[in-house]
Amino acid sequence: MSTMRLRRDPRTERAAHRIDGTARPRFDLAAAAETTGGRLRRNPRAEVERMLVAGTSRRRLDRSQRSVSTPLHIAAPAETAAAPRLIVIEEPAFLVAVVPDAPGGRLTPHDRQMIGAARLLAEKGGAVLALLAEPCEEIGPAGADRVLLVEASTGYDPEGRSASIAMAVDGLGVRHALFPESVDGGDIARRVAADLGEALFAGAESIAANAVTRASRGRRVEQRRAPPRLISLAADAALPYAGAPREARALQDDPMPTVPTRRAILAAEIIPADPARVPLGEAGFVVSAGNGVTDFDGFRAVAAALGATPGASRVVCDAGLMPRAAQVGASGTVLEATCYFALGIAGAPQHLQGIARCEHVVAVNTDLHAAMIERAGLAIVADAQKVMPALLAALECETETTA
Amino acid sequence: MKVTVLLSAGLHPVSGRPCPAAVELQAIRLAHTLGTPELTGLHAGPAADAVRDALGQGLPRLLWLETAVEDDPLAGLVAALATDRPDLILAGRQAQGADDSGLLPYALAKALGLPIIADAVAIEPAGEGAVHVVQALPRGARRRVTVRLPAVVTVHPAAPTALPFAFAAARRGTVERRAGQAALRSGAAIDERPYRKRPKLIAKAAAGASAADRLKAATESAAGGGRLLVDPAPDEAAREIIAHLRELGVLRR
Repeated sequence: MSTMRLRRDPRTERAAHRIDGTARPRFDLAAAAETTGGRLRRNPRAEVERMLVAGTSRRRLDRSQRSVSTPLHIAAPAETAAAPRLIVIEEPAFLVAVVPDAPGGRLTPHDRQMIGAARLLAEKGGAVLALLAEPCEEIGPAGADRVLLVEASTGYDPEGRSASIAMAVDGLGVRHALFPESVDGGDIARRVAADLGEALFAGAESIAANAVTRASRGRRVEQRRAPPRLISLAADAALPYAGAPREARALQDDPMPTVPTRRAILAAEIIPADPARVPLGEAGFVVSAGNGVTDFDGFRAVAAALGATPGASRVVCDAGLMPRAAQVGASGTVLEATCYFALGIAGAPQHLQGIARCEHVVAVNTDLHAAMIERAGLAIVADAQKVMPALLAALECETETTA
Repeated sequence: MKVTVLLSAGLHPVSGRPCPAAVELQAIRLAHTLGTPELTGLHAGPAADAVRDALGQGLPRLLWLETAVEDDPLAGLVAALATDRPDLILAGRQAQGADDSGLLPYALAKALGLPIIADAVAIEPAGEGAVHVVQALPRGARRRVTVRLPAVVTVHPAAPTALPFAFAAARRGTVERRAGQAALRSGAAIDERPYRKRPKLIAKAAAGASAADRLKAATESAAGGGRLLVDPAPDEAAREIIAHLRELGVLRR
């Protein structure tokens, strides 16, 4: 019978609300409502208030449970408004080294994820040390406390580079060394492991201070252990560092000396990809046509002159004006390009999903209020059909002057 | 030219049954592009059932070093290759059947004192005692490396597809069985469990937020506030676009 609710006594409840010191009996029913016990009452008006989506002219409610259960924090904007302060670690207890690819001194998303993972390993008083081939400005905001330039001899010399990195890892007593499991990063990681004669925990798929995991035996078995010294990290396995910038102080004034190695590589040359034949998902620079383009021969000429891979919106592919393989968007290809150049594309949400991972967007469209104009780093409100011939002429003029 | 292809105990990606690893069959095909080399397969492991099918896909001869399951194959392979001295050693990017770390070709090259070139998609002869190796790079680019022989080369999955299976060739091929070297694996014991696929991590703003927030994250400019030109002359627009693209470093000329 213990589950039975207690019987209310309305007279004592009312007497508890009575305000003393007045001649006439007065009751403050609102003030002491919580002391009465029993079930809490819902406040439907407050719930609706919390569901309101701010910043829209029309009244919109977000009915997902998430926002209803979380109370409102009004103090939050004051903290974010303060300028981010530089985090300095003067005396690190240990070092966690990262070896980013950083082609051309710019970090790739994979490099940033790796530095984020290194921050997890360096949590208790450690510092993240970046071993770089060339100076990189964005390494401090990406989360590196210390920087050391490890220069290899000129040209493609993976042996010399890995020997220098192995010497740095061994000489500085680095607790963990992280590499990206990319084409060049994975190669360097294995060379360093072979140089040091240690095992490499290759392609880690989850990483924390106490355990790392990876797939083995044809992705049927998961290996799990405490983080070893050499780890290479798979793509999209860790979040990039999102905290305040770090100082990225040079560990020593002069770069690491190069280790003399016997060079078996006689020559190396980069063969750039033919942009017309690169798969859209791999392309670095994509120029795309939408409903605002009618002259497709001209469009292909522009793509060839810019050295870009041609793409298209769904409308154009549905009309048969471009092949289906060229379609960009949720039902086509999701791009990984550095730059996306949209000609006559308004930017449907499904199309914008396809370019969500593009770093830079350039848009030409007649509609000032198009979503693509809002997304673009350089937006031009003009007719794409008129801009294309002008672009071709300008590019031709440039090649003539340089030739 | 003597070419040796390292073969691992592969597993079929769907059924999980023993079969040759796909990228190692591609390595056999790459060896055939070097004219008519003296081609040998080399496998170290407790059984050769998995790699025997490679005899039907361009491999005339297989050398099998019989070792126990728990043995490290490296010592036996080094001993066999040191006596055989092939000009070119081909391997897959990542062997299957053990740790799948892709470290073995590098350890082998270190032990034999040979250079190693990773991720080959093509190999061409380059005069006496050297080859051109074309490496696959991200975004469809290639790197042509000239390397002195003997060398170790690992093969990328973007290499030409394997030769078709021929039953008669598989019957004709020979398997030579030799005793391998017993060598215990070094390193700490690793906890193992059945593989569980993990979700790929995506940016925090998009992960837990509502559909409206996700759409906003997808449509907002990553650079934060771009430049807007309203109704410029076409020539001016073209000049601006070219200058902007050049600043981003995507225009090659």
